[in-house]
Amino acid sequence: MHAVRFHPTRPLWLVTLAILALPLVPVGAADKALTPQQVEFFEKRVRPLLISRCFQCHSGKSKVLKGGLRLDSHQAVIKGGDTGTAVVPGEPDKSLLVRSIRYQAYEMPPTGKLKPAEIAVLVEWVRRGAFWPTEKSATIARTAEGVYDFKKIKATHWAYRPLGKPKQPTVKGTNWIRQDIDRFVLSRLEAAGLGGAPAADRRTLIRRLTLDLVGLPPTPAEVRAFQEDDRPDAWARLIDRLLDSPHYGERWGRHWLDVARYSDGFGGFLDNAALPHSWHYRDWVIRSFNQDLPFNDFVRQQVAGDLMPEKPEAWAGSGFFAIGPTYKSDGGDPDSKAVARSETLDDRVDALSRGFLGLTVSCARCHAHKFDPIPHEDYYSLAGVFNNTKMVVKTLATPAQLKAYNDHHAAIKRLDGEVKKLAAEIGKAGDKATDAQKRDLAKKQAELKTLRDTAPAAYPPSHVLGDTGNKDMPIALRGNLRKPGPIAPRRFLQLLAGPDAKVFTKGSGRLGLAEAMVAPSNPLTPKVFVNRVWAWHFGRGLVRSPSNFGTLGQKPTHPDLLEWLAADFVEHGWSIKRLHRTILLSATYRQSSAFNKKAFATDGDNRLVWRFSPRRLDVESWRDSLLAVTGELDLNLGGAPTEDVRGSRRRTMYFKVSRTGDRFSTDVFLRLFDFPIPRATIAKRPLSTVPQQYLFLLNSPIMIDRARGLVARLKKEAPDPSARIERAYQLLYGRSPTPLESRLAHDFLDGETTPTTTTDDRDDVLISDFEGGNYGKWTVTGQAFGPKPAPGTLPNQMNVSGFRGRGLVNTFFNRDQTVGTLTSPKFTIKRKRIAFLVGGGNHPGRTCIQLLVGDKVVRTTTGRNNELLQWSSWDVAPWSGKTVRIRIVDQVTGGWGHINVDHIVQTDNQQATAPKEPPLDRWTQYAQVLLGSNEFMFVR
Amino acid sequence: MHHVNPLPALTRREMIGRIGAGFGTLGLAGVVGNPALAAPPTSVTGSIDNRLAPLASHFAPRAKYLIQLFMPGGPSQVDTFDHKPLLKKHAGQRPQLVDRKSLRNTKGGLFPSPFGFKQYGETGKWVSDLFPHVAQHVDELCFIHSMHTNIPEHAGAILMMNLGHLQQSRPSLGSWLVYGLGTENQDLPGFVAMSPRAQPRGKLANWGNSFLPGAYAGTYVNIASMKPEAILRDLKNQYLAKADQKRQASLLAKLNRVQLERVQQDQQLEASIEAMEMAFRMQFAVPEAFDLTKESKSTLEMYGGSEYAKGCLLARRLIERGVRTIQLSHSIDGYDIAWDTGHGDIAGGHTKLARACDQGIAALLTDLKQRGLWDETLVLWTGEFGRAPTSEGKKGRDHDHYGFTCWIAGGAVKPGFSYGATDEFGLTAVENRVHVHDLHATLLHAMGLDHKRLTYRYSGRDFRLTDVHGNVVHDVLA
Repeated sequence: MHAVRFHPTRPLWLVTLAILALPLVPVGAADKALTPQQVEFFEKRVRPLLISRCFQCHSGKSKVLKGGLRLDSHQAVIKGGDTGTAVVPGEPDKSLLVRSIRYQAYEMPPTGKLKPAEIAVLVEWVRRGAFWPTEKSATIARTAEGVYDFKKIKATHWAYRPLGKPKQPTVKGTNWIRQDIDRFVLSRLEAAGLGGAPAADRRTLIRRLTLDLVGLPPTPAEVRAFQEDDRPDAWARLIDRLLDSPHYGERWGRHWLDVARYSDGFGGFLDNAALPHSWHYRDWVIRSFNQDLPFNDFVRQQVAGDLMPEKPEAWAGSGFFAIGPTYKSDGGDPDSKAVARSETLDDRVDALSRGFLGLTVSCARCHAHKFDPIPHEDYYSLAGVFNNTKMVVKTLATPAQLKAYNDHHAAIKRLDGEVKKLAAEIGKAGDKATDAQKRDLAKKQAELKTLRDTAPAAYPPSHVLGDTGNKDMPIALRGNLRKPGPIAPRRFLQLLAGPDAKVFTKGSGRLGLAEAMVAPSNPLTPKVFVNRVWAWHFGRGLVRSPSNFGTLGQKPTHPDLLEWLAADFVEHGWSIKRLHRTILLSATYRQSSAFNKKAFATDGDNRLVWRFSPRRLDVESWRDSLLAVTGELDLNLGGAPTEDVRGSRRRTMYFKVSRTGDRFSTDVFLRLFDFPIPRATIAKRPLSTVPQQYLFLLNSPIMIDRARGLVARLKKEAPDPSARIERAYQLLYGRSPTPLESRLAHDFLDGETTPTTTTDDRDDVLISDFEGGNYGKWTVTGQAFGPKPAPGTLPNQMNVSGFRGRGLVNTFFNRDQTVGTLTSPKFTIKRKRIAFLVGGGNHPGRTCIQLLVGDKVVRTTTGRNNELLQWSSWDVAPWSGKTVRIRIVDQVTGGWGHINVDHIVQTDNQQATAPKEPPLDRWTQYAQVLLGSNEFMFVR
Repeated sequence: MHHVNPLPALTRREMIGRIGAGFGTLGLAGVVGNPALAAPPTSVTGSIDNRLAPLASHFAPRAKYLIQLFMPGGPSQVDTFDHKPLLKKHAGQRPQLVDRKSLRNTKGGLFPSPFGFKQYGETGKWVSDLFPHVAQHVDELCFIHSMHTNIPEHAGAILMMNLGHLQQSRPSLGSWLVYGLGTENQDLPGFVAMSPRAQPRGKLANWGNSFLPGAYAGTYVNIASMKPEAILRDLKNQYLAKADQKRQASLLAKLNRVQLERVQQDQQLEASIEAMEMAFRMQFAVPEAFDLTKESKSTLEMYGGSEYAKGCLLARRLIERGVRTIQLSHSIDGYDIAWDTGHGDIAGGHTKLARACDQGIAALLTDLKQRGLWDETLVLWTGEFGRAPTSEGKKGRDHDHYGFTCWIAGGAVKPGFSYGATDEFGLTAVENRVHVHDLHATLLHAMGLDHKRLTYRYSGRDFRLTDVHGNVVHDVLA
């Protein structure tokens, strides 16, 4: 995704070139005759001029071609127009074009003479031979008869060439080489007069690698251990340790989830369904990476996992397509319905083709692809496969497993009944119960326990694809499903499988499609994936358009290296972990990120990889790192997502994500730091640096929470200010502070010690936070409140979030049918407001929290029919100084017949509904600065 | 290309824009004791990639700012600005000309407007009694009576008007503008979307950046519940007094500069330091811009007390401070397609809606003139489509995407001018038809952008606001 920007320092002609010259892509390799300087001169100076000043009347796209003259190809220029040749190479004065722009023959352009400098460019160009780089245009992909010459295309475009392992190039600096891939990198560096950078120091390396492989910073102990490990294979051991970590699957699974446009549903009004089981696909991805599932199987299971009846663990893989958008029409109008269907199919084709193949097949939805050899019908060959599918919710178990599960639980029920019956008999018999009876009971109880202990866990429901038919679909003319053309047989792309590609006949055809995608004849699947892996390691791919390997994509910076990596990957069983090792063991990866003036001048964009490009952490790694260094991170793997952006301590990949990118508070947080909207498969993440991010760093309560967390940890782990500063630097950056940094810290901390606040408000008075494992002096009636505050979500309840600490009032005890009240002891109103967290059902007067003056209810609030506790508050100024009580009531037994309450306080804070935060002392301010620093946010 | 005319001296707009200076200029020397650190690092060459910096347009712009007064739900053209006296004569009839399927396939006959029409200004423009205040400005407005769009469904048509596409998957008009032109006040967002209570249907998509970088997203402000801290997330520091916050932020800036010095050349780090300083300034600039208490009593009275009028006044304040574009959507009673109250009773619904915006809109036009902002500002008033001249039920009108009216104000367009026409009953645009894509192309053109050159590369191709469509309507430009 490259922005064509009007860069302030870029001259006009370059911008014009970038915008207008896209359809005309020079094929550099074929230009043996031209020097790079010539190509550059032409592309930067000549072509833009022709385009901007001549093409309106003299190109294939001109509405009216004037004088029969085209100036958009070399042949056309030489051939000339109605009045003969336009250019005589080498002879400006004899060239009609030159004479015309000088207003000596015709007066061209008629709208006004070119500037002298522009005329000079064209004159110079003709004088130097009117050279013209050969081009690949849309028509080249087809033969004269309009038939694609796939064979020729495959032989010429770098991406489509069959896999083969190129020879290792010879290089001079052999002592820099550690792995085969280093030769490819070094050979290009040497050709540019550069060399590889020395390895980074160990502290930098372990931070880089740990963040790269598990998305977390190393602990100070891990840094030290690596620094002191003098075994020759210390680096390889470190790689292995991290690849074996279960958190590797989280980190790398999350990369893949970008490609899979993973979300929890809710794509907006035409695609507005929740996908409550999405996370099973996410967890499947994590498991697949952790188990090093070969990538070809990874592809197969995502395309057709649900069609492998004996492998329920593979079914969730088809979530890749099932969790995509499924559009509906707004009014049921037939046109709108057709649009909805066609948009849905387009998602499937687009995710498949860009995600796995690096091809923009979607561009062939309305007409043949303009630039790549993808005929219109190929789009419908693929769309036809998905036209025979739908998303279904399926339990991930085979019939046999389900039977075993049901039988087991039936047996438990049966035995439980027997045990109860026997126990009752014994009870009835009293002293007359026989020993045999008692022995029998004990035996049955033991059996029951064994049965219960060995009961299989419930099989989760998941979003998977299901076949609905076995029918080819017609080509939709101009993309309109209501204008059917000829039938497009379901089969793989002709480019990759040949024009006589096998037609899919079984079911939707997905099993056949899956095999075609990983067939040896298709070089794209491995090339595209190894390039993604490279990009996730280095920040940029060898091909910098990771989802577009077509004509309009970028060419690889190291074509042979890409080939070699892809071939090596397939040769070694498509093992992703092995691919990591190949890359990570290299000198290329271990390079320092240090700035190098000469290399920068030659290759400012680091295309040749003369250093490791420093980069900002993605939002997941950054937030996870914040929680890790404060010691608050919850490292549990997998499970249902959370939308509690402030309260959650889980890894960021477990945040709820909506397809619109605005539904959940978690979306808003993620988007602030460039998390992409998962509307379509993501090629690479954008990087924006905007003030809003720093408003978050400076002012967000989330940052304050982390700062407080860090201070608490520092105070526990280090005795005095200097030791604490040292400890902070070790935890956050894996190093000691410099003398300057120490001084800045001490100067800051030694300032006035009394914390300041924004207002004169008094501190809050806590009424109850429901911590400590009991209701204290509160009075309980009925069953709904259970014996003590709930620790969180109760059995069978949707995920409750937003509460503080480890206890809250949650009247879902024994589900919604229970009722009761919980009443506080009397207390005196000492502040202006009472604030609390409330969630659960919305039943005013029946299930609610109330303020009682005497026995009169004067204030009342309910939840909003969701399990997220949110701040609410009452103005209690009218009863200042009076004695009051709070009563929590649950009388509703039906749906949402429960309430959740936590953290009730008296406060003077008028503005926010949330209670006042304690003031920030200097240490907390300092901790916030360290956590918000660039050094923490960037990896080098 | 180069920056837009580097201004020689601070203009009034810049003066306003720079209220609340940051701490970025605080020298480091005194604290750090190392003179090398006192000045910004000299090793850094090249410019910082500030995505919001003002950019040169493709050609000389006629207007620099756009205020879109968006009327979601579909205001009826024949009851507002497209006077059709023949409706009365043929009331109840259903001539072939108007026998076209609308959303609901209504079979009603022609339904004369229940509103009176009068002529205004020197141009004698007919305007209904719904807009008596706006009517005072007809000699300055440019009406396009021949608008048309693709479908008669709100959701898609609203997106078409705001994104140029029937689905949500494209950037909004405003974000394209900020992408193309940047913005002139670095302490405020470049694109502000506002509405009272309800967001127009499609919500975020209407001001979203879609695949454009996040910096181009519109910032949404709900006028009804407007609090300074609600304008931008985390705008207000609820923990520290300003002096303490400044002390803390400058420590962060220092440590970041120290690190930058250590690692040398790094544009990302430079940009992040800039962004933080900007964030610090925004904390004070944003509440100031949204603070209406600074307005004089006479100004407040001119706008009147409606929520929409408050939005109009804010729009002027923001334009004055260099915000590139404003989208102000109408809504009453929390309805996300406000003007869709016409199905059952056109008279009741439209009266209420017009009353809630007429005075504010007229005041905005007057105010822009008075403050010399008229020439460089475009004001667009439009719905996503119009309503049919035939009746739905007894007193209502169904959607009409075949023809509707919008108007544009400002120095860039012809004043007192009416372009295009619907048929004699007002259903279908027949003369000089203008599609929404054409309107977009024209707006971009007026702001100095060629809609065919304003592209962004995404998912393998170059996207445009106008997709593969759009013709500039040069005839409406001054």
